[in-house]
Amino acid sequence: MIDERIYEQFVEIGRDLYDGGLISSHGGNISVRLGDRVVIKRRGAQLGRLKPHDLIETGLEKNDSGVALASTELLAHRTIYKQTPALAIVHCHPRTAIAFSLSRDEIVPIDNEASYLLKKVPVVTEEYPSGTPEMANKLAAMLQSDKIVMLRGNGSFATGQTLDEAFHWTSTLEESCQIALYAKLINEPFIEYRKMSEAYSKW
Amino acid sequence: MSGDSDHYGWAGKILDIDLTTGAIKSLPLDETLARLFLGGRGLGTRFLWDEVGPQVDPLSPANVLIFAAGPLTATGYQTSNRFSVSTKSPLTGTVLDANSGGYWGMQFKKSGYDALIVRGRAEQPVYIEIKPSSEVAVPQVSIRDASTLWGMRVRAVTEKLGQNDNRRNVLCIGPAGENLSRIAAIMNDGQRSLARGGPGAVMGSKNLKAIVVEGKYRPEIQDQELFKFMLYETRKLLRASPLTSQALPEFGTSVVMNLVNNIGALPTRNYQQSQFEGAEAISGEALTDTYLVKNASCWACPIGCTRISKTEKVEGEGPEFETTWAFGAQCGNDDLAAIIEANYLCNDLGMDTISAGSTIACAMELAEKGYLDADLRFGRADLFAQTLEDMAYRRGLGDDLADGSLRLATRYGAPELSMSVKGLEMPAYDPRGMQGQGLLYATSNRGACHMRGNMLGLEVLGLPKLIDRFQVQGKSSYVILHQNTSAMIDSLVICKFTNMGVAEEYFARVLSAVTGIKYATGDLIRVGERVYNLERLYNLREGFSAEDDTLPPRLLNEAVAEGPSKGWVSKLEPMLKEYYRARGWDEQGVPRPQKLAELELHGFSYPKELVP
Repeated sequence: MIDERIYEQFVEIGRDLYDGGLISSHGGNISVRLGDRVVIKRRGAQLGRLKPHDLIETGLEKNDSGVALASTELLAHRTIYKQTPALAIVHCHPRTAIAFSLSRDEIVPIDNEASYLLKKVPVVTEEYPSGTPEMANKLAAMLQSDKIVMLRGNGSFATGQTLDEAFHWTSTLEESCQIALYAKLINEPFIEYRKMSEAYSKW
Repeated sequence: MSGDSDHYGWAGKILDIDLTTGAIKSLPLDETLARLFLGGRGLGTRFLWDEVGPQVDPLSPANVLIFAAGPLTATGYQTSNRFSVSTKSPLTGTVLDANSGGYWGMQFKKSGYDALIVRGRAEQPVYIEIKPSSEVAVPQVSIRDASTLWGMRVRAVTEKLGQNDNRRNVLCIGPAGENLSRIAAIMNDGQRSLARGGPGAVMGSKNLKAIVVEGKYRPEIQDQELFKFMLYETRKLLRASPLTSQALPEFGTSVVMNLVNNIGALPTRNYQQSQFEGAEAISGEALTDTYLVKNASCWACPIGCTRISKTEKVEGEGPEFETTWAFGAQCGNDDLAAIIEANYLCNDLGMDTISAGSTIACAMELAEKGYLDADLRFGRADLFAQTLEDMAYRRGLGDDLADGSLRLATRYGAPELSMSVKGLEMPAYDPRGMQGQGLLYATSNRGACHMRGNMLGLEVLGLPKLIDRFQVQGKSSYVILHQNTSAMIDSLVICKFTNMGVAEEYFARVLSAVTGIKYATGDLIRVGERVYNLERLYNLREGFSAEDDTLPPRLLNEAVAEGPSKGWVSKLEPMLKEYYRARGWDEQGVPRPQKLAELELHGFSYPKELVP
């Protein structure tokens, strides 16, 4: 039985991801770790319209009948939980960030908020698709150091202690990429206002 | 972790002093141990595992005191002033580390050592002096006569031995330690304390009055450019956070008094209530408006939460929130001046303020309920001074109080009235109003403690985000993460208040910059998990079991009668089951072999039949 407070968090974050344009109707995925259990979105459910039966609970280490219903991203989420301190994961498809990921190996924010919160977001390429061990291990390795990473052409994976926190990093990244896009469109020389910003690349 | 280090961060040496024989040795620090356990609490626990087994009486010469700095200590990184002492606790019998700020830890590291192990017992009172010699790499270490210092109070002996914040620093015990009070603290820099669990009694049992340090060594930093960047970013974050830039400097740690009271989680009159009608009068705001003289800071700290307060009778550091609560709400007292004076006295006598205040509160309830024939009653702040003096010198009833609330309450026939876990008095958060905090107390390796992780951030302050304080499902995950993070911070060693404005990912990068070893955030949290599991193994080896992971019956059975937490008891059992599974421990709370292998704790398991 999943605590109704946990269900409410899923509903709120799921709806915000859809309303914020960060996912398509059936895209994205969110989960939380509860001790040795994982609660994750049901396969095919819409994050923007979650109902109680759309939350699937299964073991972190052990399979049970829940895996038959869980999202195809379950392996990635489990691997991240086992290899990092994450207690919540938000995976979505932020459009502007995805566009930047197509041409960069890292996204270094130029706006103040994301510089402050993120410093630098690495971009990784994985030829194997969602749900494969290859992708899961690569993501987990990156998330040992970074709280949010971009999978090139796919989307973001963000971790936190709560869904709220992981969503915070996600929305910050997308906002930052939108600002960077506008700056490119304005196409005027950049005036550096951040002391020691050259060190962001070492982050 | 990957990389190569040549004593960047670490000094690379351990000082080993045997007070029985007078032998003084300098030993190399094992690089693998340093990588796995860092310093401070981690390194101390690792050494303690080898040094002090279950046959050792904590107050015998076979117990050791391990003073340890960390790889960040004295580097100049924000709050890199701290250090710890590890020993077997004479109060609880568990593994113990106590942690302190000020200047002594920084100065000790500058003497050129990462750790000091003190073993044996001197025949007569002595003190240890560590000074630079003409050759910086070989400090001058001596064991000196302290017969004229024995009996002196903390402030007097600190001054006598030449305390000078930035150049020469004194660590010592007061009368409580000399008289083997099991709640005696070790004091440094006059008014800072390694307080919990009775390390002062261990020092007293060794006839060791003080340790004086001077140093000229400076830790090497491998990547200066990255280190400077991290200093800059950390300063920005600490200045941006209202907690670290406004709340703590303006009101001190007691800034949380009203917040905790408002949600019905401020233990009152020995945990009989969860809200105190006098909270406002003893809050951080009240202290600032009345007795505060000025703020002070530890070395390299931009936060400055330390209070310097003054009443008609005394002037000194403190009181902290926990102290204010222990002599305030917990004793049913709203006289702030009396709290300041009790704090001053505890510091001078060398006594843990939380345990002292809470033990007096326990005695007050014992007296009110007829178990104990004494004048002590809730609200009788006028009896604090005499009672504390009697405790430190073991006079009359004070002799019973000197060994903490559990021994006191047991002696007078009501052990259930000791508000303690594993014998250590609980701090200032009622587990009935903060469910995660209850699990944290119950599973804390040194007994009930708010510094072995704290759910205040998540359950009250919203750091990093607010979670429901009454939620039970999933709470173990948060508790485990914060226990591990706390053990990591205690091993670096820095102040936990930096973590209120600066996330763990910064600490990983600072440590990487200092040592040249690449630590990911996950690596660093795993260090904390390794330390926590080794502490658990230590306690199991001492005979502790899952039965000891509990709370006083009052918190499990007596629902809060009024206020925002009305109707709640601690729902410990389901949280505890989830906790063991999530930790990778079996149903008896024993770490599974797979977990130990994962944490590189090979060889630390022991025959299962030893577990009770």
